[in-house]
Amino acid sequence: MPANHNENLFLLVEGPVMDIGKIVKSYSHINYVCQVYGPREVSQVPAPPDYAFGRFVRIAVRSEQNGDHDAYIMSALGKSSEPQTYAVGVIYDTILVNPEFGSLGPRLSNETQVELFSPDYISEKAVLIYVMVLGMLEQRALPGGQQEILSVMHGVPLLSLELGSDVQIMSIEEVQAFHYFHDEGKNQPYLHMGYIPHIIAQRNSLLPIVTLQIIDQLEQLFPENLSLLSIVKRNFAWRLKVETTG
Amino acid sequence: MLDPAITSIRPRSRAVGITKGPGENTHEYTFVSRDDEQELKNGEYVYYELADPDGVLAEPRRVLGRVLKRVPLQLYPDTFLAEPEIAPSEVAAMVGFDSHANELFELHVAIMGYYDPISSSFINPWIPPQSGKQIFLADHEMLTNILSRKRAGENGSATIGSLLTRQPNAVPVVLSVKDVVSTHLAIIASTGAGKSYLASVLVEELMQPYNKACVLIIDPHGEYSTLEELPNFSQFSEAGEGKRPAYSATVRVYKPEQVKVRISSLDMGDMRHLLTEMTEKQQHLLSRALRKVRSDKRGSPWGAQDLLHAIKAVAKQKGDEESEGADDSSTIHALTWRIEQRFVDNFTFDDTQHLDLPEIFKPGQCTVLPLNEIDERDQQVVVATLLRRLNKARVDTERGKVHSGESYLPYPVFVLIEEAHHFAPGGAEVVSTSILKQVLAEGRKFGIGVGLISQRPGKLDADVLSQCQTQCIMRIVNEIDQKSVAAAIEGVGRDLLDNLPALSKGQVIIAGAAVNTPVICRVRSRITRHGGESKDAPDMWRQYFSQESQESRRRHDAPLNGNRDFNLLR
Repeated sequence: MPANHNENLFLLVEGPVMDIGKIVKSYSHINYVCQVYGPREVSQVPAPPDYAFGRFVRIAVRSEQNGDHDAYIMSALGKSSEPQTYAVGVIYDTILVNPEFGSLGPRLSNETQVELFSPDYISEKAVLIYVMVLGMLEQRALPGGQQEILSVMHGVPLLSLELGSDVQIMSIEEVQAFHYFHDEGKNQPYLHMGYIPHIIAQRNSLLPIVTLQIIDQLEQLFPENLSLLSIVKRNFAWRLKVETTG
Repeated sequence: MLDPAITSIRPRSRAVGITKGPGENTHEYTFVSRDDEQELKNGEYVYYELADPDGVLAEPRRVLGRVLKRVPLQLYPDTFLAEPEIAPSEVAAMVGFDSHANELFELHVAIMGYYDPISSSFINPWIPPQSGKQIFLADHEMLTNILSRKRAGENGSATIGSLLTRQPNAVPVVLSVKDVVSTHLAIIASTGAGKSYLASVLVEELMQPYNKACVLIIDPHGEYSTLEELPNFSQFSEAGEGKRPAYSATVRVYKPEQVKVRISSLDMGDMRHLLTEMTEKQQHLLSRALRKVRSDKRGSPWGAQDLLHAIKAVAKQKGDEESEGADDSSTIHALTWRIEQRFVDNFTFDDTQHLDLPEIFKPGQCTVLPLNEIDERDQQVVVATLLRRLNKARVDTERGKVHSGESYLPYPVFVLIEEAHHFAPGGAEVVSTSILKQVLAEGRKFGIGVGLISQRPGKLDADVLSQCQTQCIMRIVNEIDQKSVAAAIEGVGRDLLDNLPALSKGQVIIAGAAVNTPVICRVRSRITRHGGESKDAPDMWRQYFSQESQESRRRHDAPLNGNRDFNLLR
């Protein structure tokens, strides 16, 4: 699908990480709902491309920082050299919530007026994104501001995420590192997508499509593994497109 | 669980799988194995342990079985195989599957039974193993001890190769010569599969000091003359020791012109075969003449002239008896003419000379009788007369009728007949068929062992083939031949015969009396040179154009310079 390639480019961002929202609900140990930050909630309001379908996100897992106030502050400032564990997930669904939808009753003022006259009126409109957790990533900040990836795991993380945890966009380097394993037994690092079996097991109609999306991204990240990826991709595409249509 | 007491008695091999349950047919079971080392080949031998129900034996019995087929249980999905450059294990590794232990097979095993050394046979337990039993790969030593009846190098043994599924020479396949000689042998294979090679290996074994056999090879193609160099190898002789005399094998290759049949050894059937399309009258006359010449000579040899005289005498006598009888002169004339034509100055048929039995048959001697310069019909007569004389000599010697002389043969003999379908073709009776059948049927009593070699089992008489109790079957591609082998040979299971087209050169299925169970064997290399190879035509054509041969041809064909008369004389 060459046409899709350019569209996917924006999913891979470079530069500093960006918060796009916080965890507000979960459906299971690996299936979380994140509410995207709205206007005035953060300095840089995420735009739809930031929470696009198929984007890799990371959510910090709080493990052993209870009580140590300094370390918490340091990590919040991004200056901690302690290893930080993240759950890595993928955005696989988006819901636009509008409580006012359907309530076509009398209205005192329009939206612009409400904003102007009662700024403390909190809009109940929200964008919810669904995140499927695919694995874990442990990294540590190096003094130069660089991030060092310590370990990567695909599958179900042991620790659960917390409500209110920040959901952040992952950088290209992180996505790359997340998929490139260097096992001790093997000489060469190799491309790894160990989360595919559990994505398939989820029985959600969008998940296979998100898998294709992921493969498209990986094709750009790992051009040397095109033929390997094409096997999984063709298999998915066939099942998703040909078998369901035929 | 493993009982330490048992394992300490007899070391056993590593378990290769676990029993799943009964197989498709009775006396079959299936087991599941990963077979990471690819050692569970088709035809491989495995065993499980069965406790002795009577509790007499301290250690469990090992029930041996043969792997029939392997059915994959868990393979890579087809879609993983889509990229020829990418190994499926890489795809599996990518999606998080440990690349080791990925395949799983169900192996079907035919139960052979546990080996009973007393009866040297396999006893079927009549029940498939329980599910969950450990399956072991039979080790070399176990197979060496139970597949063959004899050990290599033992008296009366013939080591013709080693088990195909194992490394060369790991498990020798040893025939019991006693059973080969007393119950006959057949070697069946397509051209080029290595028939004569196998036969030569067998002959080499028979000539070893531990056998010192008495062997005759009927060789219609002259392939066995290279055996002549056999006595030059030290393996075939041994020094004398104490009372035991020294031994040295001899090989006698007859020259084609030495193969003679004395006319007086021909019977009426041979005559009918040699003088084709005789009229009733001629036959009648000839049989009377034969009777007369035999009674006149009383056992001493007679020749063609004696027969011709007898014909005249019989005809005259007949003419006198039937005074009004028809004129027989044309019959006599025709018969006389034909006998003269056939026997007088003939290359093969002679008045006095013939093959001397005690000279052909001697223990420690292998005699090769090349028939390649003799016409096919005459070959049949040569074989028929020889077998008839041999049979008579052995019967008479065994029964104590003779104690010396030409027909005294006080030892068993082994006759190897190459191109056996010439001498006992299926669907047609030739002159050698009946004597061959008789020898095969009665040879056991009188010590005449026959080895039949044929490339067309379909053309060989089915009775003759089924009399051979030890069968060596090599690669056969022709379907008719495969069927006739299956029909004639009950000892070999269908599952083994299915391997026939897959066998390579020099691989042979051996079944029957001389081994404990059918085995697939890799024939060992010959000690002597092989003579049965086809000619390398392109090489010979190339040689024709080589510088030396062109030079020598030019010299040969050159007109002698200027001297015409001399040239004509040349």
